[in-house]
Amino acid sequence: MTMMRLLAIAITALLGLAAQAQPDLLVEALRSYQAGELMKARLLVDEAVQTPAHAQDAEAWLLRGFIYKDLFKGMPGGEKADEVRDEALNSLMNSLNLDEAGTYVDNAVQAYDFLARSCFNDAAKALNEQREDRAVELFTKYKAAVLRREPQTSLKARETEFYNALGTAYTKRFNQQRQDTSWFLKATEAYGHVLGIEPDNYGANYNLATLHYNRGVYNIRAIKAEDDIPTIQQIQEVSRTYFQQALPYMLKAHELDPTRRETLLGLEGIYYSLQDQDSSERYRQLFELLPPQNDN
Amino acid sequence: MRIIWFGTGSVMGVFKAKIQAMVGAPYWRVLLLPVLLCAAVPQQRDAEKDTTAILQANYMYNIAKLVEWKDPAMRNGNFIIGVIGSANLYQELIKQYSTRTIGKQPIEVRKLPRTADVERCHLLFVGQSDVALLPEIYRNLAKSPTLVVTEYDGALDDGAVVNFVRVNNLLKYELSLANASKHDVVVGLTLRNLAHRVEE
Repeated sequence: MTMMRLLAIAITALLGLAAQAQPDLLVEALRSYQAGELMKARLLVDEAVQTPAHAQDAEAWLLRGFIYKDLFKGMPGGEKADEVRDEALNSLMNSLNLDEAGTYVDNAVQAYDFLARSCFNDAAKALNEQREDRAVELFTKYKAAVLRREPQTSLKARETEFYNALGTAYTKRFNQQRQDTSWFLKATEAYGHVLGIEPDNYGANYNLATLHYNRGVYNIRAIKAEDDIPTIQQIQEVSRTYFQQALPYMLKAHELDPTRRETLLGLEGIYYSLQDQDSSERYRQLFELLPPQNDN
Repeated sequence: MRIIWFGTGSVMGVFKAKIQAMVGAPYWRVLLLPVLLCAAVPQQRDAEKDTTAILQANYMYNIAKLVEWKDPAMRNGNFIIGVIGSANLYQELIKQYSTRTIGKQPIEVRKLPRTADVERCHLLFVGQSDVALLPEIYRNLAKSPTLVVTEYDGALDDGAVVNFVRVNNLLKYELSLANASKHDVVVGLTLRNLAHRVEE
């Protein structure tokens, strides 16, 4: 919030209250906020918006939104920070709804969007910290916040980005714990979610193919010397299913971008593991024809 | 060596750009780092991921256990598996089976030079890339107790005892009992029964 805007709020508030004999809670809250006394400002503004004078006051709710936003910014994260952020978002939304003249719209929208973005940002952070459930929770908050202010907003792009990243996070988990196939299922579900929104999403197709292919390879890799021929034939059949499942996704990824060397390499590998040497060789040759700069 | 293996998501470059634009915060970097680390970079086929080589190695180990060499000289000393051609198969045999035994015979895996002048071994695998050597190898080993294993169509007609075949996206093997007999080896019933095809 700019100093000019703070000043404007302060002047408006003070002028509006000049005729009154006793100090107004909102004025006190603003003074505390300006003095950096956020906890005190919070108590005062909470009380102010309960009064008949300010319950329907866009300015009061704007100030409350700013106070809670700044409180949130000073918190390390977690459930309490979530609650404070929710209060800030609710207050700013109240301000926007009550502000029929549009006096405070710019500031309210700016603060609101900052807080909405912070949900997305925190979701990304949670993914990086391998807290996938938390990431999903935050992304859901982000979506709700955006749609609350602008119900017509298309979140398709954000959703595909997030769920692709989520799928990659689950894939990483699965690669670390191959025996726990729930991660494989979750990764499949996340990429499937992307394809439900955007069937032509290159990343989801490519990553789903890779996920299945790698699982098939892992099964074969896990063959032990003690395994007899019937056992290795059974393992092969299971792996064949994964390779077959990988194939249409990789073909789709290739169709979406025929110049990507990674998909040619992927197809070469899948066909090789499907014991289809001719097809494998064909894609290997296509791979070698493309210059390495296509890897970017 | 063949080419294989691919990692996840070079598409994340797009994600990276969009998140960067959107959040304006450093977290996109840490989020994307693991993804970028495993992004696809073409590499030569890693032996660890050469599924055919892994399967062939296991088949060969099982074949060794299910075949009997009549020649008493072949029942002493190391059990020698020779490989011409497939570097990944050789590596797989070394890694998984070279510390094992066939009966009381320790397994010894040898990478043989690309020549038809083959030394005597129990099992000899000749890869597809060296099929041209085979006519001479068959001639040289005609009276040797070496069991030749191949991976090309028509190999049993040419003289191989075991040939890997690709059937319904699976790697299987076919057998020639006649060729086995010529090399003085007895193929066990289990190996016969599990073969895709047996030539009497």
